[in-house]
Amino acid sequence: MKKLTRRTFLKVSAGGAAAAGLAACTPAAPAAPAATAAPAAATAVPAGPARGGTAVIVMDSDPDTLNLGVTSNYSSGDVGAKLYNGLIWVDTNFGIKPSLAESWTISPDAKVYTFKLRQGVTWHDGKPFTSADAVYTFQEILGKFHPRSQALVKRMKSIEAPDANTLVITLVDPYAPLLLQLNVFEAPMLPKHLFDGQGDVLKNPAGLKPIGTGPYKFVEWTKGASVKLARYENYWEKGKPYLDNLVFPIIPQAANRGTALETGEADFLASFYLPLTDVERLSKSDKLNQKRGIAFPAIYFMMMNNATPALAKKEARQAIAFAVDRARIITQANAGIGRIGRGPFGDGFKWLLDPAVDYSKMYPRDVAKAKSLLDAAGVAAAADGTRAKLRLVVDSARAPFVTAAQIIKENLKEIGIEVEVQAVERAVMTQKVYTDRDYDLTLQSFVSSGDPAIGYHRLYVTTTTRVASTNATGYSNTVVDGLFAKAAVTPDQGARAALYVEAQKILADEMPTLVLYDDDTVNFASKKLAGVFGAIDVRDRWEDVSLTK
Amino acid sequence: MWRYILKRLAQALPVVLGVIVFNFTLIQLAPGDPVTLLVGDYPATEEYTRQVRADFGLDQPVPVRLARYLEQLARGNLGFSFANRMPVGELIAQRFGPTLMLMLTALGLAILIGIPLGVIAARNRGRLSDWVAQVGALAGYSTPDFWMGQLLILIFAVALGWLPSQGMRSARSVATGMQATLEVFPYLILPAFALGFRYIALLSRITRSAMLDALSADSVMGARAKGLSERRVLIAHVLRNAALPIVTVIGYNLGLLIAGSALIETVFSWPGVGRLLFDSISKRDYPVMTAILMMVSITVVIANLITDLVYAALDPRVRYAR
Repeated sequence: MKKLTRRTFLKVSAGGAAAAGLAACTPAAPAAPAATAAPAAATAVPAGPARGGTAVIVMDSDPDTLNLGVTSNYSSGDVGAKLYNGLIWVDTNFGIKPSLAESWTISPDAKVYTFKLRQGVTWHDGKPFTSADAVYTFQEILGKFHPRSQALVKRMKSIEAPDANTLVITLVDPYAPLLLQLNVFEAPMLPKHLFDGQGDVLKNPAGLKPIGTGPYKFVEWTKGASVKLARYENYWEKGKPYLDNLVFPIIPQAANRGTALETGEADFLASFYLPLTDVERLSKSDKLNQKRGIAFPAIYFMMMNNATPALAKKEARQAIAFAVDRARIITQANAGIGRIGRGPFGDGFKWLLDPAVDYSKMYPRDVAKAKSLLDAAGVAAAADGTRAKLRLVVDSARAPFVTAAQIIKENLKEIGIEVEVQAVERAVMTQKVYTDRDYDLTLQSFVSSGDPAIGYHRLYVTTTTRVASTNATGYSNTVVDGLFAKAAVTPDQGARAALYVEAQKILADEMPTLVLYDDDTVNFASKKLAGVFGAIDVRDRWEDVSLTK
Repeated sequence: MWRYILKRLAQALPVVLGVIVFNFTLIQLAPGDPVTLLVGDYPATEEYTRQVRADFGLDQPVPVRLARYLEQLARGNLGFSFANRMPVGELIAQRFGPTLMLMLTALGLAILIGIPLGVIAARNRGRLSDWVAQVGALAGYSTPDFWMGQLLILIFAVALGWLPSQGMRSARSVATGMQATLEVFPYLILPAFALGFRYIALLSRITRSAMLDALSADSVMGARAKGLSERRVLIAHVLRNAALPIVTVIGYNLGLLIAGSALIETVFSWPGVGRLLFDSISKRDYPVMTAILMMVSITVVIANLITDLVYAALDPRVRYAR
């Protein structure tokens, strides 16, 4: 096997390629991690960041479980990222950085990944971390229980541990986003000795009293109140973490989360938990720092049920794209936060964008054009001017969606489509949209998790299983399916981009789903916190965070 | 008396059982599948979904699930929460204390503020203080308690900064034991007041009208004629007679407090059972939801029983004969 250095590989790997692409597109991009990771300069203490103190991180609900290997729940990830480590972590430029894997090599056919695991790493109970833990985690936990990584493990032909510090993963076919997906959220390393032979993984006590290798160890979880963690003194990154304690208070009422930051009761509020209506107010606080736009790309869109007669023809769906005022949705429903949806993948992945596909140019708001397209699709107006009646299903807990639905209702009325907005509980929405497909239009959002193959393919590929967070439109195009399948197993980024460009052209024309806007995350941190925002996911790398006086 | 109590409790058994069966069945008939929420926000494979469904016994038809549930209940097992991945009994035990603390404080506030307000209003019938108390009570009774909560937070936590806005103690607190218990006090004030507000209004109105009734009784004229002090007349003769409707209202409206606590606990991030109930409904966590509703129905039954006993003690005309 010919060895590649990490640097060489990064050029062809998904993450590295994305980083290179980003750098090329935005040469003046600020070096975010460096900018925020130098707290010592301000205090003029040459020894590095101050040690000690407690940081308070707001969450909206209890984690599902603290076994990060069996959930993709956001709060679980928030706490879990501090308790566990992945083999790698991802910086704000999609750069892949070593974590429990010190280094790695990739075979020329991009199928065999050999990881050199860090030595001297211990679990919070003192036992050493070895390759046996990694093998067990992949085979017995992630492969069986992790909502996202199950599919990843299925791509692996074998997972082997030739010695205590080496892990060899052999893939069935090359898979471009593999390394990226080995981060702590998708592939946290779990202790074999606490799970092996201990019965039901989902009911294992380690889900409530977790043991990881991460910078903080578990102290206490009072359901409905808070989760508390404390510095792990034997953390493998010497001298880190800087903070003594992390506390995660659970604040279910959206309006109170911002309040907690303003009153100083809390220090950090991630975009995910923040009601957008509070952004303007919090921005004015002189106690807070704001950080925009670091996150894995995510898109907000309207699925159109292709089985609904009025939406069966592409002209009808294009008509809706012409009619919906997406700029107004961003301004009025989303407090002005978001980037107008550029194409089928939004604009989060610069390296795959097709200059020819730009919805603002292809589908500018044009009521007359929309009406003529509806005529062409055979969705004719009745005597009272009504062409169709459609149900728009949204999750009632997502306030921006409820407002956006009203705007869409007004927009479509102009072209003779009566919209009945059905704002229902999430459980009911999931059943109506994904299980029963008993809807015409629905507002949803998907997170890319760092690569279109992980998070965006599912929006367009032919989907027959009626599972949540998949393509519920019934749209099926074998050409698109083929392009996606190939893009997933093509290691070279340029070659992947070409495949995506081709797919985007088709999707922009057939319009199974209208992308409304790209996420533009807004996170708030107390000015006392230094070293935050080092990773692309703001929940990660809290070993670098410290408190200034 | 013991026979009476036992008889009443025996009568309550079918009520509680009915509550369990009704709620268990109703929520399962409601749209919304807990498994779709459990498997997360990313497409899970069918195999995985099936496995999660089987793991939590959700692959069985509703009657089978109900039978299994009743069977384990009879053995004192409240089941396993699939949304929280822990035994329901443990989960509720963790959250019961905070709710009890909140409810009792609210109830105490209502009694300590509501009854004197009603007495003052009745005593000064038609005067300014009566009018103020009446309008205040009406406003209080018609104010939604979650809105009241939000308002209290804005005024006393954000604008004035006097009291904390949420939680049971400071997230940064490292206190333990007695110190930790004392720390709860400032956190308790706003939610208890928000929860008790309607109750205060209700009690002051009932007290006022009951006092007015009792004041017009001949016995009061007799007591006054005997030359008793007005204070003594009010407390020994009027209030004692007015106590019956007041006790009834306190006891029978306990449900109001329990229902209110679901909202107030959410507004103030109070880690109690009310919020757990709210969460369990939205997550379709049937075992937790059914267990809490069962507990609520038992509480209401017991509260009503106690009310009846107190009633009998206060009024010699009512006796638990037979």
